[in-house]
Amino acid sequence: MPVNKLEDLRKRKEKIFAGGGEKRIKSQHDKGKLTARERMALLFDEGTFVELDAFVTHRTTNFGMEKVEAPAEGVITGYGQVDGRVVFAYAQDFTVIGGSLGEMHANKIVKVLDNALKVGAPVVGLNDSGGARIQEAVDALSGYGKIFFRNTIASGVIPQITAIMGPCAGGAVYSPAITDFVFMVDKTSQMFITGPQVIETVTGEKVTAEELGGAMTHNRTSGVAHFMSSTDEETILEIRRLLDYLPSNNMEDPPQFDPGDDINRLVEELDSIIPDNSNKPYDMHDIIRLVVDKGEFMEYQQYYAPNILTVFARINGSTVGIIANQPKVLAGTLDVNASDKAGRFIRTCDAFNIPLLNIVDVPGFLPGATQEYDGIIRHGAKMLYAYSEATVPKVTLIVRKAYGGAYLAMCSKDLGADLVLAWPTAEIAVMGPQGAANIIFRNEIGGAEDPVAMRAKKIDEYTAEFATPYKAAERGFVDDVIEPSTTRQRLVDAFNLLESKREERPSKKHGNIPL
Amino acid sequence: MKKYNITVNGNTYEVEVEEVGSASSAPRAQAPAPKAAPAPQAAPAAKAAPAPQAAAPAGSESVTAPMPGTVLDVKVAVGDTVAGGDVLLILEAMKMENEIMASRGGKVVSVNAAKGASVNSGDVLVVIE
Repeated sequence: MPVNKLEDLRKRKEKIFAGGGEKRIKSQHDKGKLTARERMALLFDEGTFVELDAFVTHRTTNFGMEKVEAPAEGVITGYGQVDGRVVFAYAQDFTVIGGSLGEMHANKIVKVLDNALKVGAPVVGLNDSGGARIQEAVDALSGYGKIFFRNTIASGVIPQITAIMGPCAGGAVYSPAITDFVFMVDKTSQMFITGPQVIETVTGEKVTAEELGGAMTHNRTSGVAHFMSSTDEETILEIRRLLDYLPSNNMEDPPQFDPGDDINRLVEELDSIIPDNSNKPYDMHDIIRLVVDKGEFMEYQQYYAPNILTVFARINGSTVGIIANQPKVLAGTLDVNASDKAGRFIRTCDAFNIPLLNIVDVPGFLPGATQEYDGIIRHGAKMLYAYSEATVPKVTLIVRKAYGGAYLAMCSKDLGADLVLAWPTAEIAVMGPQGAANIIFRNEIGGAEDPVAMRAKKIDEYTAEFATPYKAAERGFVDDVIEPSTTRQRLVDAFNLLESKREERPSKKHGNIPL
Repeated sequence: MKKYNITVNGNTYEVEVEEVGSASSAPRAQAPAPKAAPAPQAAPAAKAAPAPQAAAPAGSESVTAPMPGTVLDVKVAVGDTVAGGDVLLILEAMKMENEIMASRGGKVVSVNAAKGASVNSGDVLVVIE
């Protein structure tokens, strides 16, 4: 090959790799952000990134765009390895026309999604874009539409992860929203449908971009995002950590790791972790930490609806999804947001062959007119639906309260739990002793000489008789009542037993989950 | 502070009206009626005064009751300095002694709930500035 052809190729690539140029790259760094190429380099194992479509350019001639050069069309795309497994990714380049999305920019992302779906590999999107490239008009809109469609088709087949690492406004927000996991970088990322200026013009409401759509807003208030980190580097490392919990696609199991922890470990602390007074809260994180491998877990939607915990962890080296009530917050009740959070998490796990562990300490659904008006019936139904629909191994551990409909909603035997274990501290009943005694013994209490004493006596009777795991165990709704210290070994055994579980559902287009 | 007794359909409500600021062109005479937060006269003294409905002054943050319940213990007093995450009071609700924590650090400028008071979800319990 003549040397000048090689020289030419190298020059062309060099120009593309320079992105938006030194000045814009410096401005990106000054904002505390990495460039698209730096982000890609961090995401993949060293030297494994293969770039596609670096030469693609836009073909707009409107508004003088024919003179505008956009290296790599403002988005770096390709594939590489994360801990040795193939992952596809795209990273929008804010230094090139603000990372704006036009027809060809979108086509590059579309190709990544198509290829990832073909080979069954996860997709990671690193978003940093000013929005649609207005000069391209309806072609840009079409680009978003194509991406939404593919995100949806790929949903439940390959894991899709999006990180918001800069602005993400208007139509751009819906691709992340359709994907399985949304990460946000604190202080440097914002998501909203309409920005602060538009809101002020239309409604007069003054709100900063950070308050409106910052990382904390979407992690704590709206529930749009699932994870939050403080820097670009940390965010990308967290994405790599999450990928280690997930299979490459819906036909595979999550990767198996060396447990690094004794599978027969007795955990004495668990025998005394439940306070003697059942009205006292404790931190559910402690139970999770004590039973999983090495005490390590990754919390999904840590800041949203903290009355229920949803975490990825490993037991005996395999990924499990844990759904656990948190007595420390809202008494561990189920409310609208907790139901949404858990429902989505259960379905994420089921789609990707991740067994479920449900740790139950729930006094009931949160009472109140606001909850009813917000549709707790419709939202609570999502948990019942998601659990019933899930065919992955389902193990339920009842550590304390399990009352009424909330007992069912936390995956009781009847919703298809494969194995239900209870601690001796479990209270499984229709309602708490106080309420139940008032109803069942109304006449005795009313007719007694000392109604207060009679009521207390009846409450004690009810507590001893019904606020235990034994009534449920007598019926077979609980498979075994275990000593808390043996929990870890019993869970290892349960998931080992259920590894080969197979369960079929009638074939259908799709179910109709209450949304 | 002015006290009114208002009778609605035979039920008498005792209402306290505090004038905030002055020289407003709004017809103030009509203001109290729609604001009448029901505070039944028969309520025991310990009953929490209904949370001041006026928005907390700028720069302060209201800690509200997350669910209806009974105040079991109040751990702070006006003037105390608290850090984010400090327990402000214990609210018994859903058979649980819930710790209500400060969402951020600051000085307690108002405590609107007394021990033993019943509160509704959304009621302002403590204001931190």
